[in-house]
Order: sequence, then structure tokens, then C-alpha cells
Amino acid sequence: MAQEEPERRGRQTDRSLTMSRAMVEAIAHEMRDDDEVFYMGEDVADYGGIFDSTEGLLEEFGRDRIMDVPISETAYIGAAVGAAQAGMRPIAELMFVDFFGVGMDQIYNQLAKNTYMSGGNVNVPMVLTAAVGGTYNDAAQHSQTLYGTFAHLPGMKVVVPSTAYDAKGLMHNAIRDDDPVVYLFHKRLMGIGWLPAPDGPKTGVPEDEYTIPFGSADVKREGADVTVVTLGLHVHRALEAAESLADDGIDVEVVDLRTLVPLDTETVRESVAKTGHLVVVDEDYQSYGVTGEIIARVAEGGLDDLEAVERVAVPDVPIPYARPMEDEVVPDADDITNAIRTVRSNE
Amino acid sequence: MSANDERVAVDTADVWPDDADEDEGVVVNWFLSDGSRVEEGDALCEYQVEKVSVDVPAPVTGTLDELVLEEDDEFERGDVLAWIRPE
Repeated sequence: MAQEEPERRGRQTDRSLTMSRAMVEAIAHEMRDDDEVFYMGEDVADYGGIFDSTEGLLEEFGRDRIMDVPISETAYIGAAVGAAQAGMRPIAELMFVDFFGVGMDQIYNQLAKNTYMSGGNVNVPMVLTAAVGGTYNDAAQHSQTLYGTFAHLPGMKVVVPSTAYDAKGLMHNAIRDDDPVVYLFHKRLMGIGWLPAPDGPKTGVPEDEYTIPFGSADVKREGADVTVVTLGLHVHRALEAAESLADDGIDVEVVDLRTLVPLDTETVRESVAKTGHLVVVDEDYQSYGVTGEIIARVAEGGLDDLEAVERVAVPDVPIPYARPMEDEVVPDADDITNAIRTVRSNE
Repeated sequence: MSANDERVAVDTADVWPDDADEDEGVVVNWFLSDGSRVEEGDALCEYQVEKVSVDVPAPVTGTLDELVLEEDDEFERGDVLAWIRPE
């Protein structure tokens, strides 16, 4: 499989796309190339996905390949696992990642384990897409990211794009992968009218196909003083924090993990070896999650490099509905700025 | 400005949703910037009327000469979104 990021080429190279359009472009490309690729989920056909994840696909591919399903996550995720084992390449969408619990056996006991349980007689080349994240007052059951939950359970690759360019390349890779991939897209990054994205996720996107390999973190901003490791929406919040600190002479490097499984430990360690100061920022719950894992990986292989460390995550509470309360628990650029100043406080 | 005689307007009314009662919209996303080359039919931008999103195609092939309305700008039906200098 081609794993190279190509030169940006083709017509309209100065075209920018929202993250949702970049995802849809990759899906449409794969569907044209391979009749075995199909998409199913709640409101993915006529509605085009409530976060625009399938906008326009029904018109091109019809109802046999873009399928609205009854509201049973168990039934349709199970159907996708079966279709994948039979040789198809399904994409099944969880409308909100928070609904994973309803179909959890299909996810962590079937999707993630059937390759192993069958002794390699079947594999499960499917993609489970899901909308994640808060910041728009949708309360505790519609605002989680659950990054750590999926990354914890073995057998699934876990992808979290932060820009349109990354989203397209990672989606191509996800559909072509012969193992199950969980592709978590942040609602706030999609570029929807009623849920405006920050500056940053809308990027130039080549019309041609390209893949971004899994396990390849991307340094979104180079810096010498502090390493911020993060993913998804918080890449953009970290970049905002980095810009505000540049005026004070603090040079911040921002590492976008892009995939949690596989995890690019090497890029993180190299950055910390350079800066000595680590801040890990996550929109998931703090305990037993991404922040703890990243810090542990750095400590295991490079404890001597680590002068100071901080983590910024959602305190271990359900995400509140009320705007000021949600804003309080979901990390913002100021929280990241403060953590960066704290790790630098002994300088 | 005489240059306007040659330029083609991208008119918000051209793709107004049929079933919208409202005469006001908001620009959601631009996909191209000033000076970009466009072909007739390329999606230039997206605007929203009554929660319905509409893609605005380039009316002619040419160069995107001037963006009149920015992202998040509100406008009335028939306002000019941009000017294209045809080839």
C-alpha cells in the first residue's frame, strides 16, 4: 500500500475544504474504486449525516450503498462486522460516540477480536466512524470523546484527525486497512454552519487520493522550549496558546498525535528530548486515559529528558450542559497556556 | 469602476433554496481565495438560509477577482458574493 504523502497536485490545488468535505471526498473516491465499500448509519442517507459526514453520497451511490439503518447500534454494527468478515469493506457510523455502549459487544468482542478468535481465518476490514466532542452544550451523553476507551481495548486502530488535509489521507488509509479502524471526527472541526469551526481545520486539500500512514504524529508547530502533545480539536487550542506565548518568548512545539493506535511514541520522545518540558492536552477524562499514557511512555523511555510535566484534561465528571460549566471543564487555550507556564516555572 | 463591466458577479440569488421563506442568509465557508483560478461549476463557497446549506458554483471560468462577502457575513437575497474575471 502506498504510504507516501504525495506532492500536492492536480487541478485546483489552492482549493480549501472543510474537514467534513475532505472526509466525504475520500469515502466517495474509495466507493468509486471498490464496489465492496458501503456506508451505513443513522441519518447518513437522506440527511447526509447530522454532522455532514456523508453529505452528497446518497445522490451518487444510491440506497444500496448509503444506508439509513434502524436505531439499533447492536444490529447494524454487527451487520458491518459480518459483512467485513465476508469480504466487504463497510463503514458504519455511530451518530454520537456516546452511543457506543449500546453496541459495545459488537465493537470490543466482535469487531476487535474476531481476527484473533478465528485464528486468522477471517479479518474485519471495516471502519467505525463516530462524531466526538463537546463545546456546544449538548450535555453529558452527547459530548464525550472517549478517546481513551477505544485506545485501551486492543484490536482496533484509532484515528483522530484535526485538519481537512489529515482527515482525507487518514480516511483513505482507514478504508484500505485490512483491520478494523475506529475513526473519530470532532464535531467542532467539521465546518458546519451552526457549529462554527476554529481557524485551522479548513486546509488546502489535493483532489487526488493520498494516504497518511497510521502511527505518524505530525508536528503542527515547531518550538524549542515546551512540547504540547494533543489531538483533535485541542490541536487548534494548543496552537492558539502557543501563539499567545510566543510574545513572551516561550517557544512551544505542538505535536498532533493523529492516531492513538498505533501511537507514534518516537516523535513525542524526540520532541521532549529537545524541550525537556511536556504538557499533554486531552478532551477526554483525565484518569486512566491519553494524558497518563503519553506521560508514561515518555517516562519509560526518556525519564532523564523530562524536567517537568503537566496534563490538561476533563476532570473526572460528566460534561455539564450549562455553557459556563461546560466551558469550565473542557480545556481551553488559557488552561493550556497556564499549564505551559507551570512546566516552565523553574526556568 | 470600468473593470466591473468585464467582471461577472456571483449572485446569491442564483442558487437560493426554492422552499426558503427567508430573504437573508449567512456565508459559512469559502473554499477558494482571491486570485484563485476557477472553472465554471466549481464550488466557490457555501452559504446558509434557514439552516439549509447551499453550495455556490462558479458561473464562468476565470479568476476569482474579489470576495465581497466574508465568512460569517450576513446578506440579503440578490447581494453579490464575489466577482470573477472571465478568461
